[in-house]
Amino acid sequence: MSRKPLFALVDCNNFFVSCERIFRPDLEDKPVVVLSSNDGCFVARSNEAKALGLPMGAPAFKYREIMDRHNVVCFSANFELYGDISRRITNLLSEVCPRIEVYSIDESFLDISALDIPDVEAWGRELRARVLREISVPVSIGIAPTKTLAKLASEHAKTTPELAGALTIDSNDTLYRAKTPVEAIWGVGWRLAPKLKAAGIMNAHDVAKARPNLIKQLVGSIHGSQLVMELSGQSCLPLEREAQVQQSIMRGRTLGHDTSSEADLEAALASLTARAAFRLREQRQVTHRIGFTLETSRHKPGYQRIHREIKLPAPTNDTGEILALLSHELASIMSPGKQYHRLNIHLLALRGQDTIQSDILGNFDDQKFIRQSARMEALDELNSKFGRGTLRYASENLSNAWLPLRGQGSPRYVSSWSELPTIRCYTAQGKN
Amino acid sequence: MSNEGNGISVHSGFPNAADDARLTSLDLHSLLVPQPRSTFLFAIEGDDWREQGIYAGDIAVIDRALVPRPTDLVAWIHDDNFLLGPLTDAHPDAQLWGVVTSIIHRYRQQEQRKS
Repeated sequence: MSRKPLFALVDCNNFFVSCERIFRPDLEDKPVVVLSSNDGCFVARSNEAKALGLPMGAPAFKYREIMDRHNVVCFSANFELYGDISRRITNLLSEVCPRIEVYSIDESFLDISALDIPDVEAWGRELRARVLREISVPVSIGIAPTKTLAKLASEHAKTTPELAGALTIDSNDTLYRAKTPVEAIWGVGWRLAPKLKAAGIMNAHDVAKARPNLIKQLVGSIHGSQLVMELSGQSCLPLEREAQVQQSIMRGRTLGHDTSSEADLEAALASLTARAAFRLREQRQVTHRIGFTLETSRHKPGYQRIHREIKLPAPTNDTGEILALLSHELASIMSPGKQYHRLNIHLLALRGQDTIQSDILGNFDDQKFIRQSARMEALDELNSKFGRGTLRYASENLSNAWLPLRGQGSPRYVSSWSELPTIRCYTAQGKN
Repeated sequence: MSNEGNGISVHSGFPNAADDARLTSLDLHSLLVPQPRSTFLFAIEGDDWREQGIYAGDIAVIDRALVPRPTDLVAWIHDDNFLLGPLTDAHPDAQLWGVVTSIIHRYRQQEQRKS
């Protein structure tokens, strides 16, 4: 018997802020923001901070005055904490529903069609209460016959207090689809929204009711028909169980202080390369093309941005090999005395390391690749056992000047014995 | 299969019973934290409960998923502080946070390994 598709999207509310609040009950109801650790931009805001008009992604220093005036509490991102809490939530959700797609650190889709739930909205509210009780993180749950509608429902569940955190919508719904402007639809975004609006299509209901051909014309054929079907309740985006393998890897750093020192840049380059290549090997991939971008500060005169790409003679995932090529290139383009502000590196044209064909030009040396892979596996194993950075390339130690100025990160509550949260024993004197 | 390091050679036509033993070694973590997903660790602050055998620096293991029973030691939040005590002592306005399942006291503390 084939069942009707039914999806639940479980979305953590202001996730990073909610994590910070777990061990800081004093921050309940206060404006709280989390900043990205490399460039100090808002990456999470509590509802109170949103109400002050602090925009997502904006650099915090521009809003210093508002933040001071309203005593906004500001954290630098603590990814060890967020990762730990995220794993706890995923663990609970996958026990409740084994068919799960972990969409991001704070969102998961559940395919609940096989669970035979009599009252899905009550089920959603109970699940929400359970995550809050067991892990202390508030979530919003949207339930619908398609992933796109489930996502739409979760947004309303989050912003409409009367819904108590869960909303179910079916194919006949008009109320919530009409309330969802096109730019808020999953998969539309800021580039497509103006096109739709110009054609008089203002909200999700308009999209679902529009002539499919019109939408196809406006947003592209495949995407357009998917969008119409998904929004009218016919599921065409299945649960994706496999983690998405990336097509490119980028790692970047804003340097702690603008620098013209080659040693500083070399050190930053080595560290970024080590992290990017580690990720590459984790995905069991090799790169065919590498590049980097070197930038001076936009806020200073003489702004300059240089981008270079290098095609590799043979695919690799070896930190040392990538680093050698990049640092050679870096040395050749630096202008003496120029103060550099930011460095990004890119690994491009990725392919599975198990599917590389011995290349027709004979450039690819299998034996060498196998030797390198073994060395890299040993390095990765050491680093994952004893902490990142146990084994480094020599140039990673050259200088620490490039490390970004870190804001106030919260303690490593769940990953360091010396930074556990504290609790006092109740005594009658301290009567409360 | 041969074990070369000590000059003994073991041919394993039979399954090696010792392989299973490895799987059943006692794991303190599973004893103390049977439900890791909802369990959080706290350090005890202050020596107020020395007489009850709970000392500063001890580790309280607190599970949020358990339903408290009247005799439980629990954690609650009052005036933005985490407090630990018998359920019966919790202030009516306090927000119950979790059930204390263990207190770990180490008699000789090893010097903490760096990070």
